[in-house]
Amino acid sequence: MNKMFPTQEVGSLAKPRWRVKSYRGKPLSRGDINEAVHWGRKLGIENLEELVKLLNKGDSASRKRALLEWSAKYAIRFFETADLDIFFDGEQWRSEMYEHVIRKTTGFRFLGNVKSFDYRYFNKAACIDRPKYAKPFYLNEFLFTKENTKKEIKVPFTGAYTLVDWTFNEYYEKKFSGKIRDFKWRKFEAKRDFLFDLIKEVIRPEISKLIDAGAKWIQVDEPAATTNPTDEEMKLFVESFNETVKGFSCAFSLHNCYSNYEVLARHACELRDCSQLSLEFANRDSRQPGTGNVRTGYKAIKLFENHSFQGNYGLGVVDVHTNSVEPPELVRDRILHVAKTIGNPSRIYVSPDCGLRTRTWEISFRKLRNMVLGAELARKALE
Amino acid sequence: MISCYVTGASPRSSELIKKTRAYERGRISKKELEESFEKATETVIKAQVSAGLSYITDGMLKWQDLLRPFTENLKGITVGSLRRWFNNNTFYRKPIITDYVKREKDVVINVTHLAKLPKNLPWKAILPAPYTFVSLSENQYYRDKAEFMFKFAEVMNKEIKGLAEAGFSYIQLSDPALVYEQSKPKSIKDKLALVNDALEIAVKGTTIKTCLQTFFGDFSKILPEALDFPVDHLGIDLYETDFEKLKEYDFEKGVALGLVDSRSSLIEEPDELVAVAKEIIESISQSNTNEVFICPNCDLDFLPWEKAEEKMKAVSSVTERLREEFS
Repeated sequence: MNKMFPTQEVGSLAKPRWRVKSYRGKPLSRGDINEAVHWGRKLGIENLEELVKLLNKGDSASRKRALLEWSAKYAIRFFETADLDIFFDGEQWRSEMYEHVIRKTTGFRFLGNVKSFDYRYFNKAACIDRPKYAKPFYLNEFLFTKENTKKEIKVPFTGAYTLVDWTFNEYYEKKFSGKIRDFKWRKFEAKRDFLFDLIKEVIRPEISKLIDAGAKWIQVDEPAATTNPTDEEMKLFVESFNETVKGFSCAFSLHNCYSNYEVLARHACELRDCSQLSLEFANRDSRQPGTGNVRTGYKAIKLFENHSFQGNYGLGVVDVHTNSVEPPELVRDRILHVAKTIGNPSRIYVSPDCGLRTRTWEISFRKLRNMVLGAELARKALE
Repeated sequence: MISCYVTGASPRSSELIKKTRAYERGRISKKELEESFEKATETVIKAQVSAGLSYITDGMLKWQDLLRPFTENLKGITVGSLRRWFNNNTFYRKPIITDYVKREKDVVINVTHLAKLPKNLPWKAILPAPYTFVSLSENQYYRDKAEFMFKFAEVMNKEIKGLAEAGFSYIQLSDPALVYEQSKPKSIKDKLALVNDALEIAVKGTTIKTCLQTFFGDFSKILPEALDFPVDHLGIDLYETDFEKLKEYDFEKGVALGLVDSRSSLIEEPDELVAVAKEIIESISQSNTNEVFICPNCDLDFLPWEKAEEKMKAVSSVTERLREEFS
């Protein structure tokens, strides 16, 4: 990108209530419809009456597909209106980042909910057979996005390491049982086989399809990257990223958040063809204006610099876990602080910490707008 | 003598999960949630009894994490933000130590369904070990971690005495942090000396059986010092421990062998587990008189409830087979 401090989003955006309810075949309230109309007008969506008609119609497969398209169109227009440079469709076609991929792939069975924390749980699958590609899981969503915007597209793609880390590994553990005596080593080898089979059979075929369809930039999402911070596990993670991207003519970036950046920084420069690290900082930072010592949240950037990471940063300047909206001046100061720390403003892409799915559209919009304005202020400050 | 038990919290059944979600969304009352917990507790207890486990826990269904009853109920501690629970895709809330820590009421007893526990079988209670609690907390009050660890051990001592009085006959102290952390050999020695002192405080004046249960890390890292810890039994996670290294030591204590993997949904073949257990038991206890417990390596709540139930049965069938082998 020629522009200094291009702005981007990370992936998810909340799904509007009219999308969630009607996709499940549940009746909509007047308020839900009003919300669709309100945002539709605000974003200048054409043929709104068609959407309203659709929302009032009975359940059917073609209706479901149409709902996905409508909400993707809304999200695309949402990012365009906020005036971001790089985005996707708010992941409107996906149930969430894990289940969406696993459900469309063979070799897995969902076992039910397991604990995440407090009264939160997640539906966890077991790998029960060698994973096989069944049907595209991101391709159609990408094609639709491409058709509906002229802006640069970055496709968020759940990484293989995270998929494996979040899945029970029955098939491979069984395969190795009796073959490796040490249980720990057995589980590690089973994980390795699962990981590289998944990359070969499922991940790379989908990437290949995306690239054939015109994808230029894929963001590999790996929230689990530093879950197991030992050297051998981190090496496995790096190897999995490198194997995923090997030989493709496409830009790749890595998104990781709420993790151990000391560990990630040690290994970041081993990632091949990783043009950008998209990382979370804003939620660790103070909200006072200024550069220098007040920017406590951005200390971790030095870890990556000290370990000679030379790629770009997707710099998280907006906290996705609070409703308080960062003023443009704070965004500006965060950008300028890091530009000074790394000594090269062209390596900074301005970004939220993570996907905005936990915020309302109202809050998300104001946050992104201020992010764009803050980037503009930073650009002016350096001119 | 070979016995068996679980080593942590049970998972919530899908029925109970639904209720907790409904409660969070304000759709059911606190009372209705409470009733669901009671009903689910009965199910967990029944499953342990029918699997033939030697000691019974109440399932710890209400425990949001291993530390939480203490984080929420001790004075001087506040509930902090979410942190990753070791190398798992689960999270706990960090205890923040802001003031002098004081125990004003029973902690574990107040979250335990005492009335549901069976009268004819011995009961087991599970608490966080002082080292793990301290290592996962943020200390803003005490001079150093050691001072806080000794303070927390005093709290544990009162808890253990209270639980013994309430009818429990077995106490497990869960100590994952002790074996999970990577530390240099020199600092390990110092650390283990402090842990030993804290455990002395925790069990002082009690006669109830105690076990220091380690998991998520290699138990051999804390050998040989752990052999002198003032507890009756030592718990070992065999999915993290190089068991060849165990064989170099003569254990004078009982051991709890974490042979069934709570972090895998694959139900183990008893044959292999029996062979491994037999080999370990024969090599670490030359006299073959040590108490041995067969157990899951850690809390079963990494699994959906149905799988946890199967794992309990696997624990019990391995135990049965070993009893035959050693009879």
